[in-house]
Amino acid sequence: MRVGAIVRADDQHAREVISLAKTLGGADAATFALLAEPAQTRAGVGAVRGAVVSPDADLAELAAAVGALLGDSAPDVILIPDGPLFEAVGARLAGSLGRTAARDVASVEIEGETLRVVKGAFGGKAAVALEATGCAVLGVRQGASEAQELSELPVAMVDVPHTEPLLVQRRAVRDSAGDDLGAAKVIVSGGRGLGSKDAYESLREVATLLGASLGASRAAVDEGWATPSQQVGITGQKVAPDVYFAIGISGASQHLGGMSGARYVVAVNRDEKAPIFVAADVGVVADWHALWPELRRALTGA
Amino acid sequence: MRVIAFVKSILDPEAPPGAIRFDSGRAQGDVGQVLGPYEGNALELAAQIAEGSGGAFVAIALGGKEQETALRKALALGATSAVRVEREEGFHDPLATAREMQAAAEAAGGADVYVFGRQAGDWDQAVTAGLFAGLAGLPLVPIVQGAEVRGAALSVRREIQGGYEEGEISPPCVLSASNGPGTLLRLPKVKDVMMANRKPIEVRPAISPSGGFKVSDLRANAASRAGRRIEGDLKSQAEALAQDLRRVIPGIGGGA
Ligand SMILES: Cc1cc2nc3c(=O)[nH]c(=O)nc-3n(C[C@H](O)[C@H](O)[C@H](O)COP(=O)(O)OP(=O)(O)OC[C@H]3O[C@@H](n4cnc5c(N)ncnc54)[C@H](O)[C@@H]3O)c2cc1C
Ligand SMILES: Nc1ncnc2c1ncn2[C@@H]1O[C@H](COP(=O)(O)O)[C@@H](O)[C@H]1O
Repeated sequence: MRVGAIVRADDQHAREVISLAKTLGGADAATFALLAEPAQTRAGVGAVRGAVVSPDADLAELAAAVGALLGDSAPDVILIPDGPLFEAVGARLAGSLGRTAARDVASVEIEGETLRVVKGAFGGKAAVALEATGCAVLGVRQGASEAQELSELPVAMVDVPHTEPLLVQRRAVRDSAGDDLGAAKVIVSGGRGLGSKDAYESLREVATLLGASLGASRAAVDEGWATPSQQVGITGQKVAPDVYFAIGISGASQHLGGMSGARYVVAVNRDEKAPIFVAADVGVVADWHALWPELRRALTGA
Repeated sequence: MRVIAFVKSILDPEAPPGAIRFDSGRAQGDVGQVLGPYEGNALELAAQIAEGSGGAFVAIALGGKEQETALRKALALGATSAVRVEREEGFHDPLATAREMQAAAEAAGGADVYVFGRQAGDWDQAVTAGLFAGLAGLPLVPIVQGAEVRGAALSVRREIQGGYEEGEISPPCVLSASNGPGTLLRLPKVKDVMMANRKPIEVRPAISPSGGFKVSDLRANAASRAGRRIEGDLKSQAEALAQDLRRVIPGIGGGA
C-alpha cells in the first residue's frame, strides 16, 4: 500500500508523522506540505510536494490546498498529525475519497492489504485495536513514533486554486487567556469544585505566585468561568508542563487525557475517592476554600 | 431552515475507573446511558437554528433501544420528529456510519444544516461529521461554539487554537458542535419532557454498508501514577504542600 503524510507546521509532531510514513511506506512514501511560503528544499521523504497557504488560511483554502497537493494520486494510507490540521481537513478528505478515518492513533501497522491501528477509546479509559482492508486517512497522535533524521529534498510547488472563503467576513480573535498552555512550564487548573466564578478568578493569584498559566476542566468552561481555549483534556489542549496543579477537578478520564504528559501532578480535592488522586504524584484531601488562605501564608510568609 | 441533528447516547463518560469493563471487543458495565455532552451542544445549536429560522428540526440516532435516551432529550428540546436507525450497539466503522446517516437523512427529506457533536464519548472518533460532509460534498465547519440565523445565512463562531473565529456561511453545510458560550444546553421544561415521552419515535432499518474498521482488541488502560497523600490538619497540609511546590517550582514567592 502507498503511504503518504500531509503536514503543515515544521515541528516535532510533523517530523514524527513523516518518519512514520517512511517506516511504513519505504521509498514510495510521499510527503505533502502546506507551507507558509514557497520553498525549494525541505526535510522530507519520497516525493515532496508543497503548496503555500497563509498562516490563518480559511477552511475552504486548506481543503483546496490539500486537494491540489494530492492531485489524482492520493496515497492509500494518508497520515496527518492529529490536531488542528486533521480537525480542519482530515475526516472530510477521507469522506470525499470514500475512505474510512481514525484519530488519536497511537500506532499503525500495514501487512499486505491489512491496516491495523491502535487508538484511544472511552475518553482514554481504553485502547482499541482496529483492523481494515484498504485505504484510510489517519490522525496520528503526538509521540506515536520517533522523529528520524530527515534529509533535505527538493520541493515541487503546486498552485492552490482560488477559493471563496467558507466563512465569509471571517474574523479571528485570539484569546490571550489560553494560547500558551501548550508551552507552559507550570499550569494551575480549576474545575467545577471551585463553586463560583469568583473562586475560579482567585486562581489567578495562585498562578501569579507560581508563575503559572491558567487552565480549566470542561465543567469550568461550561460554567462560563474559563474560555474554551483554556480547557485541558482530550477535546481541549494537550499539555505537558513540569508541574500541573489541579484544583476542584474530579479527574474524569477525558480530562486526564490532556494532562498525562505533565511531569509532576499536584491535586487538591475534598473527595478522597476522586479519581484525580490516582493520576497525581501528590494529593491533598481538603476543601480548597479553607486550604487556600493557609497555603498562601505558607508560600508568601504573609 | 431545515435542520437534522445526529445524536447518540453513550455509557456515562464520567463513570469511575473500573466501572466499565472492556472485554471481547465490547464495553460493558452497570453504568447508565446518557446523552453525550457534545451531542448536548449539538442539540442546543440545532434548536437555536430551527427556532431562529422558523424551520423544522429532526433528530436521528443510529443504534438499539439505548438510543431512546438521546432521542427523547431531542424531542424535549423541540425536535419536530425523531428517527432511530435500528443497529446493534457497539463499534461500527465511522464511514459506514456516515453512509447510514446519509441514507437516513435522505429518507427524512434532507436538510439545510446538518448538526453533529464534535466527539461522541465512546470510541473517541471525532470523525463522523467530517466523513458525512466529505461523502455529501458539503462544507464542514468543525468545533462550532455558537451560531445565529442571519436571513438565509448563518453567523458561526468556531474554536481555533488559542481563540475563535467568526464568519458567515450559507447552507447547505455541516456543523460539529463544541462547548462554548453559545451552545450551553438549556434545561428542557417539565411539560416538554412529559410531551416528549409520549411522542412516537420512528424506527427505520439500516442499510448496513460493509467494509472499514473492525475491532480486533479492546483493553483498559492502567492508571498512570501512584499518589502520595499529604495528611494532617489544614495548616500542616498547607505547609507540606507549599514545601513540595517550592521543591518542584524553583523561585516561588522569593523563597528557595
Ligand atoms: C467526548 C468527551 C470529551 C470530553 N473532553 C473533556 C476535556 O477535554 N476536558 C475536560 O476537563 N473534560 C472533558 N469531558 C468531560 C468530563 O467527562 C467531565 O465531565 C469533566 O472533566 C468534569 O469536570 P470537573 O472535574 O471540573 O467537574 P466535576 O466532575 O463536577 O468535579 C468537581 C470536583 O470538585 C471537587 N470539589 C467540590 N468542592 C470542592 C472544594 N470546595 N474543594 C476541593 N474540591 C472540591 C469534587 O469532589 C469533585 O471531584 C469530556 C467528556 C466527553 C464525553
Ligand atoms: N450512532 C450514532 N447515532 C447518531 N449520531 C451519531 C452516531 N455516531 C456518531 N454520531 C454523531 O457524530 C458525532 C461524532 O461522533 P464520533 O465521530 O463517533 O466521535 C457525534 O457527536 C454524533 O453527533
